[in-house]
Amino acid sequence: MTRLVLSGNSAQSYAARLARVQVVAAYPITPQTSIVEKLADFVADGELPAQYVKVESEHSALQVCVSAAALGARTYTATSSQGLLLMHELLHWASGLRAPIVMGVVNRAVAPPWNIGADHTDTIAQRDTGWVQFYAESNQEVLDTVLQAYRLAEDLAVRLPVMVNEDAFYLSHTVEPVDVPDPATVDAFLPPRTPRAVLELGVGARVGSFTGPDHYVEFRRQVARGLESVLPTLTEIEVDYARRTGRDHGGPLPTYRVDDADAVLVTMGTMTTTARKVVDELRTQGRKVGLAKLRVFRPFPAEAVRALGATADRIGVVDRSYTFAGLGAAATEVRSALYGRTGAPTVASFLAGVGGRDVTPQIVHRMFDALLSEPGTGPAWMDLEAEREVTVRG
Amino acid sequence: MIEVRFHGRGGQGAVVASELLAHAAFRDGKFPQSFPFFGVERRGAPVTAYARIDDRPVDVRTSVTAPDIVVVLDAGLLRRVPVTAGLRAGGLLLVNSPRRPEELAGLGPFRIAAVDAARIALRHGLGSVTLPIVNTAVLGAFARVSGVVSLDAVRAAIESFSPARQVENAAAASDGYTDVVTAEVGPIPELGPASPRTVPLVLPEDPVASRSSETLPTADWRSLTPVIDLGRCTRCNFCWKFCPDNAIEFDAAGWPVLRGEFCKGCGICAAECPPRAIAMRAEA
Ligand code: SF4
Ligand code: SF4
Repeated sequence: MTRLVLSGNSAQSYAARLARVQVVAAYPITPQTSIVEKLADFVADGELPAQYVKVESEHSALQVCVSAAALGARTYTATSSQGLLLMHELLHWASGLRAPIVMGVVNRAVAPPWNIGADHTDTIAQRDTGWVQFYAESNQEVLDTVLQAYRLAEDLAVRLPVMVNEDAFYLSHTVEPVDVPDPATVDAFLPPRTPRAVLELGVGARVGSFTGPDHYVEFRRQVARGLESVLPTLTEIEVDYARRTGRDHGGPLPTYRVDDADAVLVTMGTMTTTARKVVDELRTQGRKVGLAKLRVFRPFPAEAVRALGATADRIGVVDRSYTFAGLGAAATEVRSALYGRTGAPTVASFLAGVGGRDVTPQIVHRMFDALLSEPGTGPAWMDLEAEREVTVRG
Repeated sequence: MIEVRFHGRGGQGAVVASELLAHAAFRDGKFPQSFPFFGVERRGAPVTAYARIDDRPVDVRTSVTAPDIVVVLDAGLLRRVPVTAGLRAGGLLLVNSPRRPEELAGLGPFRIAAVDAARIALRHGLGSVTLPIVNTAVLGAFARVSGVVSLDAVRAAIESFSPARQVENAAAASDGYTDVVTAEVGPIPELGPASPRTVPLVLPEDPVASRSSETLPTADWRSLTPVIDLGRCTRCNFCWKFCPDNAIEFDAAGWPVLRGEFCKGCGICAAECPPRAIAMRAEA
């Protein structure tokens, strides 16, 4: 084990190198570019014996990964925002062809207006594509999750692509100490892919060809079954990873001080760190609050949410995106998971950090205040309320 | 409500036939519905089209799985496609065939009618010997044996909506009406319940739809076969290059050889062959 000071983007690159990826295909986009630049360096310097494929668009980058994965290779790509949107069609191909690709996504706002700040709209808009989605809180979690993602994606019960998402700048360009495991440790945890190739070089075959109504739904059901295997498989993988590295990221919905909490905030990504500190402050004031981090958004951990709802009276869900629905995207899922349970908690929807706005301790305090007093039902745009506060102070 | 299923091949006019039937039924004051089922949209591939005719607006939007009437535009399909699947016992099976309907009695306990629509089509110059356009002659026969629409309405629909050669097509419909023969095959059972529909559900073990094209012979689609005249052939390779299904190989001396199991009879090779060494012949 080595401790290095790494950016979130470098954590992605180091993890891909440790995973001994065989094919990297990528197209640059801010704030992702330094991930694939570093991988290009690794390949050029002979530190990573991989095929590095330069392509003309993100759509092609994912196509290269889909094809290489179909031939049995371990593949990696990375993108962000507009680039991810351009990949949308191929995202479905990757899951439908059961290609165990791992992709780093730097969560960035979607234009217009043009904005490169942290925002989850890009990946939330891909929630229905059959990909597993992780949202990381720290650079350490980025690195560990990429390694776990390969085990998960390649598990024969799962066989699905995985996104490892990190907030733009708050992780992508933030450097902090990261424990980098030894190659031998990773090799033992993540052996070479057992190639369950769907194509073989030199053997004529086609994949994904026309399938009528008589069979199509059976294929969709098989993708769904793969997703249903994700959470139980992740539990096993995390146990093994913790045994080898001492680190456990707590499954799809790790919680903090929720046991006797009346009000729990559900967060995603980097805002979690700030919110945890606020929980500690409020606890010293005797207020019974807790925190749950939505680490896996797809498949949605509905069981874990129901366990949370069994003890908390009020749950506030913070979305760093708005999908033009009645509630934030994660809030909708949480409320849906709890629907019809006797004594289900009130679920409030907060929008915060949209378009790279800071989610400050003050904003987290305001969300807990709202939750403990009169939680509204519709989404509360915390960034706009905070702006008024800034104006008053100015 | 009367439910009809048409079976044909891409290019034979099954879809147009079901649409013309809808127009005809509408002229007779009924409420029709007609729609095609498309799979691989290629010439020669088996095609299905559906029609419903009722005295009130049709209130169902699904494929026809338990038809009262099945119409087969290409007798070659009888061997390859389960055309009678779901057809009610005592239901009507109308086939374009020069054979006597009694010879088709083995297809099941149905009222069987046959019309030599190819001969009628040729009489009116519709299509060619190798590819007659039979749909309007079959529709005329349909009017007679089904009693569901009148011949006048069928002719009027053709005159208004047939994509080409309205006069000849209307005349073909009249001839189909006159020529169609219904089998006298003992007692026809009462119209019974739908026979169970079975769909073979064979999923690959792998959850990805991957198969070699070598395992998907398309010979079933063929109504015409390319016949190569080696006396005119210059061994130029064009037929091999243009064949969309890789159905042409070469022998050791470089002469083209047809791989019959993959040829779908599209005729592209014949159209591309520079010395016109390939002729498309009707399947036996
Ligand atoms: S091009 Fe010729 S050989 Fe190839 S499928 Fe068509 S008819 Fe058959
Ligand atoms: S295209 Fe015609 S001349 Fe050329 S190889 Fe084929 S059959 Fe022979």
